[in-house]
Amino acid sequence: MTREYVDGATAIARAALRSGCDFFAGYPISPATPILLHMLRELPKVGGVGIEAEDEIGAISMCIGAAVAGARPMTATSGPGISLYSENIGLAIMGETPLVIVDVMRMGPATGGATTTAQGDVQFIRWGTSGGYPIIALSPSSVGECYLLTQRAFDLAERLRTPVFLLTDKDMVMSMATVDVDEYHDIPIGSRPRVPPAKPPAADGTRINAVTGRPDGRLRPEETYLPYDFEPIDVIPPTSPFGGPHITRFTTSCHDEHAFLTKDPQKVARLNEHLRAKIESRRHELEFGLVDRCEDAQVLFISYGTTARAMREAVARTRAEGIPASALTLHTLWPVPEQLIIDAARGHTRVVVAELNHGQYAREVERILYRHAALHRLPPPTIISLTRVDGRLLTPEQFLAELPSPQS
Amino acid sequence: MMVVATPAVREEKPDLSQMQLVYKRPESLTEAMTHYCPGCTHGIIHRLIAEVLDELGVRERTIGVAPVGCAVFAYEYFNIDGCEAAHGRAPAMATGLKRVMPDRVIFTYQGDGDLASIGGNEILHACARGEKITVIFVNNAIYGMTGGQMAPTTLPGMVTTSSPYGRDVAVQGEPLHITEMLAGMPGVAYAARRSLHSVAEIRKAKKAIRLAFQAQLQGLGLGIVELLSSCPTNWRLDPSDALDFIREQMVPVYPPGDFKVHEALKRS
Repeated sequence: MTREYVDGATAIARAALRSGCDFFAGYPISPATPILLHMLRELPKVGGVGIEAEDEIGAISMCIGAAVAGARPMTATSGPGISLYSENIGLAIMGETPLVIVDVMRMGPATGGATTTAQGDVQFIRWGTSGGYPIIALSPSSVGECYLLTQRAFDLAERLRTPVFLLTDKDMVMSMATVDVDEYHDIPIGSRPRVPPAKPPAADGTRINAVTGRPDGRLRPEETYLPYDFEPIDVIPPTSPFGGPHITRFTTSCHDEHAFLTKDPQKVARLNEHLRAKIESRRHELEFGLVDRCEDAQVLFISYGTTARAMREAVARTRAEGIPASALTLHTLWPVPEQLIIDAARGHTRVVVAELNHGQYAREVERILYRHAALHRLPPPTIISLTRVDGRLLTPEQFLAELPSPQS
Repeated sequence: MMVVATPAVREEKPDLSQMQLVYKRPESLTEAMTHYCPGCTHGIIHRLIAEVLDELGVRERTIGVAPVGCAVFAYEYFNIDGCEAAHGRAPAMATGLKRVMPDRVIFTYQGDGDLASIGGNEILHACARGEKITVIFVNNAIYGMTGGQMAPTTLPGMVTTSSPYGRDVAVQGEPLHITEMLAGMPGVAYAARRSLHSVAEIRKAKKAIRLAFQAQLQGLGLGIVELLSSCPTNWRLDPSDALDFIREQMVPVYPPGDFKVHEALKRS
């Protein structure tokens, strides 16, 4: 077993490079800067491009341009930067652009506490762009998970052609930890669907169109492949490279199947339904988390990110004292891993959702478990939101205080 | 109401086989009808760019980055690969494209609000980095698509929907001469301004556009051409008077000229 002393930023950057990330643009901001520095140092060594952009708006615009050109980009920022990313997050969603966005959460609002950890961006990243269309968000709770979930983020971004957030926090990214290097598992990274490559020219030099099979060279999209043909509605449409066999248009306005701007209500509805359906219909593939159930426990703790470490410590301690408790570490935050939460909560009378904000994820858990209880005519568990917003971490003692007293 | 005379119908059909083709649609334009208003110079600019792309033989490897504004539909009119950017961010999008695909020819097509106002930082830093891209900057001194508001380039005293008493330079500032500003940066290989108010000026504009693309093809740096353009609808002028407005009102404030020509371009 080989061990190393390393921080989350290094794990994220390494995992990105191993995932084939070849483009990074970012703007310095605490506490995300270590990722920027790592990528700017390492990318040139592997023939990639790293740019310190003029501002966050420029940074994410560059990443989208790079993604459209075929690269696998990543960017990293914190809350104020996500605010500036907002418009372009929508652009990436609408253009179905693979993009990994690392949000290293710090205390907000506004400048807040630049070097103070927090988990206040959970709902912000979900609803952070106009229109309210879904994104995917993964949240690591250890350095090893920083590595694994970064790779998963690249895989999902590529295969689903969507922005994927890696939601971390200052302590997750900047704290050093001793890690067993065997924790760094590389997973296969998928690719965005592509149109079939053009067939080689015939003996007489005639170019055969890849889609129509006719010798008509490079055609306009309406004559050949449809870049946004949503059949079935949740299909991930194939891309055609710039300079490839088809005229390619990247559009972020409401568009028809040809990528042309449209106001046709049927086509607009189909596009918007597609953007929802392509994530929603894959919910079951996106439910990542660590369930640690104790069969006779009354209490289930749910947490994510840095806070989940204190949760696991608390659960270990109480079990050592003979009082059972269960724990669910969420790795997927968006879409909400509903089945994972329902299964983990089964049999518990009390569910404690712990996070460094005013209960942003507790409302999701409440929504899922109350609805489940109502549907199945079961008594719902008591749901408690355990929060802390003074810039300090939740402690194991704060978790333990939520256990029912032995007398009760 | 304007009365349009209908030309007399020819009795005999001309013998087309004897005729020489002297004017045709450039390959780089599609057959789509543009949505631009009568008298708007966007159509002329599209054609000039398309002719230059044809002449340089780069159509199949060119990517145009469209702005937010009237020309947001540009990707429908150019027979090339196209990309849409957020308002003002075309130079950043183009940076991402060009860095990943350095063998492609990338141009942004931006209006005065897009380039000189909301996207000021993006164009400034694309120039500072010396990105090998071409920037077509359409200056019509007004916001077209949103309904004729004051732009950074609006002329002193000019009435717009958002400067109903005329642009008061003491309060709303002087017109922004952004091409001159950018020309001072080492990363800029070519910076020029041309007008589109006459055939002679349009010819000069085409030469400038060509040089702005050559700057990119030769890897010299960023090439930008500012084009003084018309917006008859929002200026409340007919197309002919709009061209006069460019000549009489805009040209004195924004004199055409070369502000930066890289040595290597002077030889070409």
